[in-house]
Parts: sequence; C-alpha cells; structure tokens
Amino acid sequence: MAGGKWETPRVRTLELDVPDWPGHVAGQHVDVRLTAEDGYQAERSYSIASAPDEPLAVTVERLEDGEVSPYLVDEAREGDAFEVRGPIGGYFVWEPDDPAPVLLIAGGSGVVPLMSMARDRAREGSSTPMRLLFSSRTLEDVIYRQELEALAGNGFEVVHTLTREQPPGWSGYSRRIDDDLLRDVAWPAEDEPKVFVCGSTRFVDAGADGLVRLGYDPRWIRTERFGATG
Amino acid sequence: MIFSRGFKGRRQDGPPDRVPPGQYLTDDFPVLSAGPTPHTPLEEWTFSIEGGAEPVSWTWDEFRQLPTETVTKDIHCVTKWSKLDTVWEGVSVDTLLDQVEHDAEYVLAFCDGGYTTNLPLEDVTGGKAWVAFVYGGEPLEPEHGGPARLLVPHLYFWKSAKWVRGLTLRDEDGPGFWESNGYHIRGDPWLEQRYWGD
Amino acid sequence: MEMRDLVLDGNAIGGLLNELFGTELTAAPCVCAGCGAREEMARLDVYLHAPGVVVRCRHCENVMIRIVRSPTRTWIDLGGTSGLELG
Repeated sequence: MAGGKWETPRVRTLELDVPDWPGHVAGQHVDVRLTAEDGYQAERSYSIASAPDEPLAVTVERLEDGEVSPYLVDEAREGDAFEVRGPIGGYFVWEPDDPAPVLLIAGGSGVVPLMSMARDRAREGSSTPMRLLFSSRTLEDVIYRQELEALAGNGFEVVHTLTREQPPGWSGYSRRIDDDLLRDVAWPAEDEPKVFVCGSTRFVDAGADGLVRLGYDPRWIRTERFGATG
Repeated sequence: MIFSRGFKGRRQDGPPDRVPPGQYLTDDFPVLSAGPTPHTPLEEWTFSIEGGAEPVSWTWDEFRQLPTETVTKDIHCVTKWSKLDTVWEGVSVDTLLDQVEHDAEYVLAFCDGGYTTNLPLEDVTGGKAWVAFVYGGEPLEPEHGGPARLLVPHLYFWKSAKWVRGLTLRDEDGPGFWESNGYHIRGDPWLEQRYWGD
Repeated sequence: MEMRDLVLDGNAIGGLLNELFGTELTAAPCVCAGCGAREEMARLDVYLHAPGVVVRCRHCENVMIRIVRSPTRTWIDLGGTSGLELG
C-alpha cells in the first residue's frame, strides 16, 4: 500500500504499488487477498478507481459486518502488503475511442469503476458525451463529490439523487431511481448510447430493466453487481 | 506467502473438544446459498418418503401434528465456520421413517430448487437427524431453509439440506449436488472429510 | 439482509476463471444447456456464498457451472453449459 485517502466517513481510497503492474482498462477490477499470521486467508474483489495512466488505486467501502473491508478502510497503512490479482474484466470496460455517448448509473460504491471511466475520459481529452446518474444515501455519502464537481463540463455531467436525506435547499433528485427519473436523465434511445450500471444486485437489475422499458436495447447495457458482503 | 500485518479476520478459536479441526467459531449465522430462495406456500408444501414399500407423504398440517423435539446442537460448515449451541425444533427422522416399511441402507434428500444430498441410513436414524422448522425459538426463515430443512448436525452442514421436501430410500449410495462435484461422500467434520480423497 | 443482493454475476468470478482457464472469460458468450439462452459470462447469475461457486442461467435458473476448490484440487462441472465462445 502506497497511500490512502478518505473519500467519506465510510469510504477510503487505497493507492497500491504493484511491481510489474501491466496497466488496466477503465472498469476492470482486482482481487485482493489477505493472509493472517496463522495462514487464514480472505479474498475480495475491488474495482479500480484510477484512470489507466494514473497510479493504481482502489476505493473500498467499510461494510458493517465485513471481514476484509473494515481492515482495508480502518487499519491498513502505508507499507502494508496484500496479494493482488488482475486486472480482471473484459466485459464491463470502456475505452475513450468509443464514439457512442455514455450513460453511467451508480448506486453507492458502484461508482468506483465508473469513476475510472470518467477519469480516463478526462485525461484523454475525449469529448464523447458522458452522463453519470449517481444515487447515494446522503450528501455526506457521495463518494468523489468534489472531484466530480471539478470534472463537470466538456461534455461530462453528473446528476445526483440522494435517497435518504437531503441538505436544506437541495434541488437535485431525492428518491430512488424510477422510470420517470430515468426518462429525465437518460440519453434518448435514438442516440444508441453505451450504458454501464453498477451497484447492488437489486439496484442494477432495476436500473437495467427501467432502461429497457424506455426503449434501450439490452445489448447496449452492461452491468456489474457488487456484493453486499465485505 | 505475503502476510498482511494486523489482519485477523472475523474468527475466534474455541474449545477443541467442540470445534472440529480446521474450523473457526462464529457468532452469526452466515447464509450460504447455491440458488434462488424457493417460496413454496405452506398449502402446497409436502414432505414425502419414496422408495419404501409404499410412498408416504405429509402435508404441512399433518407434519405439524407429529411429535417434535427441541435440540441444542453444534453445527459445522465445510466453509470453516462452526456455531455452538444452536437450538432447533423439528420432527425426528426416526419418527418419519417409522411410517415406512423398507430395507434401504441409504437416503437421498431432495429439496425445492433441485438441491440433493445423500446420506447413509445410519446417519439419519437413532436420534441423529430431524426435519427442523424452528430455529432459535422462531419459525425457520426462508434464507436459512424455511419452512423446513433437514438437520444432521454431526456431519458438515451441507448435508442439512435447506428447503427439504423428502427422502428417497435407496439400496446404494450415490452422490448428491455437492458430493458429485468434489465434496466428500460422507462429510464427518471430526475426520475432516471435506473433499474427495480426504 | 436481502437474499437477492447475494446473487452476483460473472464479473465476480473473472479472476477465478482466468486463473483456472488461463484467459479472460467475462465477455465470453455461454449457451445454457437447459433453455438454449446465450449470454456473456458476466450476465449469468453467480452464487459465491456456498460451499462452492454455482453459476446459473438468468432465464431458467439451470445450473450451468459448478466449481469446488480444495487446497490441492479443483472440480469444475460445465455440464449445464452447452457452449462457450472465445475470441
């Protein structure tokens, strides 16, 4: 571990220094394996948050009854070692040379692989239209909030919805994603966009089904379900 | 091997006469599943025993008329967690098999969702197995196998088939869902019979 | 805890499959032997919280792949998959 950065009270980004790291494509993940002194091992998958030409970083959310995430978020420090396998993934990936407009739909920590895509687009100077619809519980829980604000512009837009609690004066969405919200935010089907949906299984399935009801071809939609265990 | 400083995991050690080799103690009750949770309505639920002189079957209401036992048992999952002193209420498999004339030596438990597991008859008789429908004083939840699951606590918990719907009596043993894909045909945690060849 | 959220998809076993088969498989179309549906591995239902890995068809729930790992061996059943496309 080369460094760490707090994103929210529950979420931390870990920068990893992996010898001979071959680089990655936005959307990929790594498998991380921890070994305790007595040989006990636990393994989890984490999406890569960094853009392909940035130092490798993963963003981890501390899950309440988690076994690995509390360690990575609260305990791990610079110099600690883990085994990393990857990069992994050939389906849930995006490259800036794809001309189709992009719709990213994130539920909570599902934003991590999508952030890699947004960062990649920015670093490559791409003008491909990209819109992120980001569902979080409260404003405090919005991962990468400041950076997303800074990235907005040049064809990149962020639409937030806060489902549990909104700050005074909040003018954004304040409910779970439904067909009406999707209709407001999604690119028209005629644009034949590429879609990436990531979050819990129920979030992802609901989002994908909603887009299909709007007339999207299921083949445009790529999904990644995140586990509830950590 | 690369050790991760300070990583311990969630486990605890326990008294060696209660915790089989290679197991760790847990306080919670992890949910393991190989498929979607079935939701058979009780009006449609039956438990049957096939392969004996005549097939025998109970509806839920008939099943709930049978005498039950409340037992406190330690349970051991092949994924290495063990939980001590779990309390169950169920109908003893002995009670169910008493209704059937047979000379079988093996059974195959079958379940909603298609799961199966095989056992020698002597591992489900003599007060060693139940069809359990109450856990910790509450009706067994669907995620833990409700309305009823097989309970065979002296073997690894994959043998305690969730959503059980019956037993098929057989003359010969034959592997069930996990036993046909690497898991040990019998699964005694004290002999650490996890996989083929153990 | 919602049972539905425990079901993942083929992305979650991408690393395992690469280790076992030596190639990236999450984008590989697979054909279900039960109903004939053809979906990328990443779009299959994956159950990891079990004594082994179980991969099921999203349409008919047929078991397409089972994987069990011991410290020394791995058992893979592909019997519920009637085809896999690479490249």
